[in-house]
Amino acid sequence: MKFSVSSSDLLKQLQIAGGAIGSNPVLPILEDFLFSVEDNKLTISATDLETSIITQIEVMSDGNGTVAVPAKILLDTLKELPQQPITFNVNAENYGIEITSAYGKYKLAGENGQDFPKIPEADTVDTIKLQAPALSQAISKTLFATSNDELRPAMTGVYFQVDFNKLTFVATDAHKLVKYTFTDVSSEVSTSFIVPKKALNLLKSALPSGDEATLSFNKSNAFFSFGNVQLICRLIDAKYPDYNAVIPVNNPNLLTMGRSDFMNSLKRIAIYANKTTNQVILNINDGSLTVSAQDLDFSNEATEQLTCTYEGEPLTIGFNAKFLIEMLNVLESDEVKMELSSPTKAGILHPAEPIEGEEILMLVMPVMLSN
Amino acid sequence: MLSRAILHLDLDAFFVSVECLQNTALRGKPIIVGGTKGRGVVASCSYEARRFGIHSAMPTRMAKQLCPDAIFLRGDMERYSRYSKLVTDIIADEAPAFEKSSIDEFYLDLTGMDKYFGSFQWSKELRQKIIRESGLPISFGLSINKLVSKVATGEAKPNNVIQVSKGTEGNFFAPLSISKLPSIGKVTYKKLSFMGVRTIRTLREIPVRLLEREFGKPGISLWKKANAIDDSPVVPYTERKSISSERTFQVDTINMVELRGKLTAMAMKLAFELRQSRKLTSCVTVKIRYTDFNTFTRQAKITYTANDQKLIDTVLGLFKQLYQRRQLLRLVGVRFSGLVHGNDQISLFDDTIKEINLLTQLDHIRKRFGAGAIKRASTITKGAS
Repeated sequence: MKFSVSSSDLLKQLQIAGGAIGSNPVLPILEDFLFSVEDNKLTISATDLETSIITQIEVMSDGNGTVAVPAKILLDTLKELPQQPITFNVNAENYGIEITSAYGKYKLAGENGQDFPKIPEADTVDTIKLQAPALSQAISKTLFATSNDELRPAMTGVYFQVDFNKLTFVATDAHKLVKYTFTDVSSEVSTSFIVPKKALNLLKSALPSGDEATLSFNKSNAFFSFGNVQLICRLIDAKYPDYNAVIPVNNPNLLTMGRSDFMNSLKRIAIYANKTTNQVILNINDGSLTVSAQDLDFSNEATEQLTCTYEGEPLTIGFNAKFLIEMLNVLESDEVKMELSSPTKAGILHPAEPIEGEEILMLVMPVMLSN
Repeated sequence: MLSRAILHLDLDAFFVSVECLQNTALRGKPIIVGGTKGRGVVASCSYEARRFGIHSAMPTRMAKQLCPDAIFLRGDMERYSRYSKLVTDIIADEAPAFEKSSIDEFYLDLTGMDKYFGSFQWSKELRQKIIRESGLPISFGLSINKLVSKVATGEAKPNNVIQVSKGTEGNFFAPLSISKLPSIGKVTYKKLSFMGVRTIRTLREIPVRLLEREFGKPGISLWKKANAIDDSPVVPYTERKSISSERTFQVDTINMVELRGKLTAMAMKLAFELRQSRKLTSCVTVKIRYTDFNTFTRQAKITYTANDQKLIDTVLGLFKQLYQRRQLLRLVGVRFSGLVHGNDQISLFDDTIKEINLLTQLDHIRKRFGAGAIKRASTITKGAS
């Protein structure tokens, strides 16, 4: 098998697919890309058995065949080559690969493409159609809130709730929660599943800026496809916690203030908070919000006063500043509202002006202040 | 390098001295303060008792055999702390920088004071002031570093002072027994004795490489100590790096209900301490000692917390992993380390409003009526208190 292709076009596709390759593969062949050439079309696959990416590129070939190519050495070679046509020549017997560039020849040992794990196929699936930018937006608004706690696998992913023309993403790590709903989708089902964090991270970086994307899924896998790329991931097989039950209703205290003022103030105050806990204290009174923090280990201390609109009882509540900053950073409105009830109950953050076609709710748990 | 002047102050037989202050009838008699029940050890003993070969950390039972007529006292830690505080306050009034290294020991950095006050004279005056105001006997050693000063204090005792001026440390150390050096315990002492090393003079003449071969890394510090080298500074205030609690049972036990109750009580007590000082822990260690003195520990990293339930679950989980043999246990212990300042982050799913309110109220009661005012039924076990 022999084919030639532009080095930079190939590199671009390999970099997309390469994201799926794990850092510590269980099988040596998982460190490889699977190349299969059929009718002048090269299909590149990479997988860590959980997440797989398949992408395609046009090549000039003189036959069909498959081979597994070591990913790292190939990527490193292509990164160092200026754009030019390169030729791959694969020995069908020992899977040796010879790459020819304008500068010379590079030989590397491949493996039998038949040994590469089979990637799940999208059969018996339900499908949702949605806009790639909307999907990318939804991912970046929720992904940060997922957990890293392997003991609770459900929370290491984003919960997708499909309800015909509505798609809700939920992410939580038990300290903060984001619920993002958007309507610009079309599907014929109502169901839910959990997509792992890694797949969404890869998806976010691979999604094109303007295009339609389809999301298909069955009981065990989700298939995202857009352009020439297909991303397949195994769903997290766990029960998502009943998040609706923990979102407090009847929050009598309402704080309204400028988003960037609040965020910038928190960023400054957080410098003076303890570096491991990032705890800040909000002291809310009629018309003024005092943000303060101290780090006893270094005798650092900071206080700022901001103007705000506040309806309710005076309240002192402690939060992890990092959580608040992450959340404020994701919101886009000029003003934000924060609903509060008591120093031990969740604060709920949302934009002051609702945005057409989407709905976002962010929840953050306070820290227990001992007086 | 500028030569330093380090003063080491040590209250003589501190607990006993406090007891004598309270009850003058005790003066001049062999007094032993420590655990009086089955497995208690001597915490402090008067110089009269020492003549019988009694020393601190010796099992009380053995002390009783050595000197049946001695007066055994249970001790009152609260009173000792009060007296320790009194002495600390006197020192804090006078000294530029001091380190309280234990309840009855202090290091002072007097570097640079010689020229203006006369370090030795100043130290003597400080000692007189302490004796006058607290009524407790105290000894000190003054030298160029913490090590030499500490050894000097040991030599000065009881109720006396020694100054080891710069350049004479070698002569001062040379004739002393190696057991006078801190960190030379029973085992090291035995090993060195077998090697024929009895005095510091001999020890310091051994090539450092030989000591390293015999003792590993500690061998190097051993050699440094023998040569009176110690660069450690006087640290005015040290943040506690961990809090711990352990308990030796009066009678070894295999009663799982009692053991778990004990561990739960310890976890709760320490968790309350954490919350009181507004701290969180990230590392939990459980320790057990079987009846044959085999000791095992196991630890777990957790996310920063001071929550009773989370800590109890972790402690009991570790204990379950740790307790493998079907053998009697003589000791259990719990330690929280990796401490940081902060408040407990409330969890969305684990902590219900009800539980949080309960915790808050429990702490409220403890703050008002003392840490032992309220506890879980599971932690009340008969026998061991």
